[in-house]
Amino acid sequence: MSEPFITLDNLVIGYDSQPVLSGISLSIPGGSFTAILGANGSGKSTLLKTLLGLLPPLGGSIHISAETACPAVFGYVPQSAHFDPLYLLTGYDVALMGVYGRVSPGRPVPPAERALVRQCLEATGAQEFARQRFAELSGGQKQRVLIARALATKPSILVLDEPTAGVDAAATEALLAFISQIHQERGLTILLVTHDLPLVRRHAQQVIWLHQGKVLTGTAVELLRPEHLAEMLDIELG
Amino acid sequence: METLRQILSPDFLLRNSVYTSVLIGFACPLVGVFLVLRRLVFMGVALPQISSTGVAIALCVPMWLGVLQPEHAPHSEHLLAFLGSTVFSLSAILVLAFLDRRRRGLPEGRLGSAYVVAAVASILLLSKNRYAEVGWLDLMKGEIITVDNADLVLTGTSLAVVVLALALFHRELLLVSFDRAMAVTLGKNVVAWDVLLYLLIGLTVSMAVLSVGPLIAFGFLLIPALTAHLFAANMRQLTIFASLIGGAASFIGFCIAYRYDLPVGPADVVLLGILYALTFAGQRMAGWLFKHGS
Repeated sequence: MSEPFITLDNLVIGYDSQPVLSGISLSIPGGSFTAILGANGSGKSTLLKTLLGLLPPLGGSIHISAETACPAVFGYVPQSAHFDPLYLLTGYDVALMGVYGRVSPGRPVPPAERALVRQCLEATGAQEFARQRFAELSGGQKQRVLIARALATKPSILVLDEPTAGVDAAATEALLAFISQIHQERGLTILLVTHDLPLVRRHAQQVIWLHQGKVLTGTAVELLRPEHLAEMLDIELG
Repeated sequence: METLRQILSPDFLLRNSVYTSVLIGFACPLVGVFLVLRRLVFMGVALPQISSTGVAIALCVPMWLGVLQPEHAPHSEHLLAFLGSTVFSLSAILVLAFLDRRRRGLPEGRLGSAYVVAAVASILLLSKNRYAEVGWLDLMKGEIITVDNADLVLTGTSLAVVVLALALFHRELLLVSFDRAMAVTLGKNVVAWDVLLYLLIGLTVSMAVLSVGPLIAFGFLLIPALTAHLFAANMRQLTIFASLIGGAASFIGFCIAYRYDLPVGPADVVLLGILYALTFAGQRMAGWLFKHGS
């Protein structure tokens, strides 16, 4: 594994001064495919929001290594159900938001940035439905648009928050295969939040498992062994 | 046609009122679109009412201080009202937005309470103010009021600032409204953009309340945006159509009110209501025909 891209040191996370998880110390290697696993309410979303800067840490520190003088860019892919259908935005409009971080307020989006967005839509296979209303796309199509938007940010790390929620089985597999492909082709660090064990087993290299207030880290192979799972979930193997 | 000729005549006595009304009609829906998209419709009801309470309080201040207002100084009275309206609407929107962000309590309850308390406070304050002219009570009902050149310039300048800021920063305001988390990860100062949007909404509301009254301001904030949302294909169309609907309704409403001696504001809003109902029915009918025709 390469050098740590993100290092958490004794991190405490939570809302309104109420800790959800504390004493989190771990590192996410650059170029790795890491999954954050955990049941509902285990603190997955809180950890993700803290890493993204949406929530301040209650204690400890987060260190993100920057390869250049510019700060690291998080290509964030939220759950598609998170968006209000009232907004009359096409898939292209949504993907275009990915370049807004590089365009000064009041200035038009340069043609080169628009071309990049079209390339990202093409790379994710979203080009053909990019002109349709975003709210009317299927779950899988929305996720492809959102991944294109995240790629348009020119990210240092791609962060996906349960990208397969509300997506059918075939689309889920296609989506994860695509994420694995861009991980391998671009050497991009991937951080995937999910509670889908089979998906993690097939695609992730490293796992961060939030379970009953504890944070376990290891490779997918060692953490997702049937014996270890049985011990963790307190079930008997047949 | 005769009515139209009279209204468009350069000598028309109420021409500044027409200009002001049309400016409000064009500008209110531009910020109203954001109220609708952010699902802050109740804010659109409460804010104009709170703004009008600001007007009432500002008009009472000279009486409370024992300072007599000059009998024939409508401009100073208008300036006082402008200050009261602007300070109250800006303060209210910032406080309400702050409380909303903290996600404490019941937002609808807060807005409902603010609306009703502000409404009765305005009535009580003005009913006991011997200096409050009948014109201000007319304003609250949406009657035609005379607007002098200085007031027209003040309204026009304020609304031009709003339109310019919305045009320049529409992309950022839309991003922060649509996907706040994404905006944060892109390094945008979401609080600053929110404050800017609320200031623009507050300024527009205060100008609208001074010109057409709280109830009519609410109508112009929301109905054009809701109507345009029924048929607009994208955000650009939504914004442009909403503004055109507001501007056209304010002018046609003025013509109807003048022709039939009706209060202008209510005529405008009834017109907007009819247009909304017809657009809604047309959209449903088109959907039904498409479904059963194919």
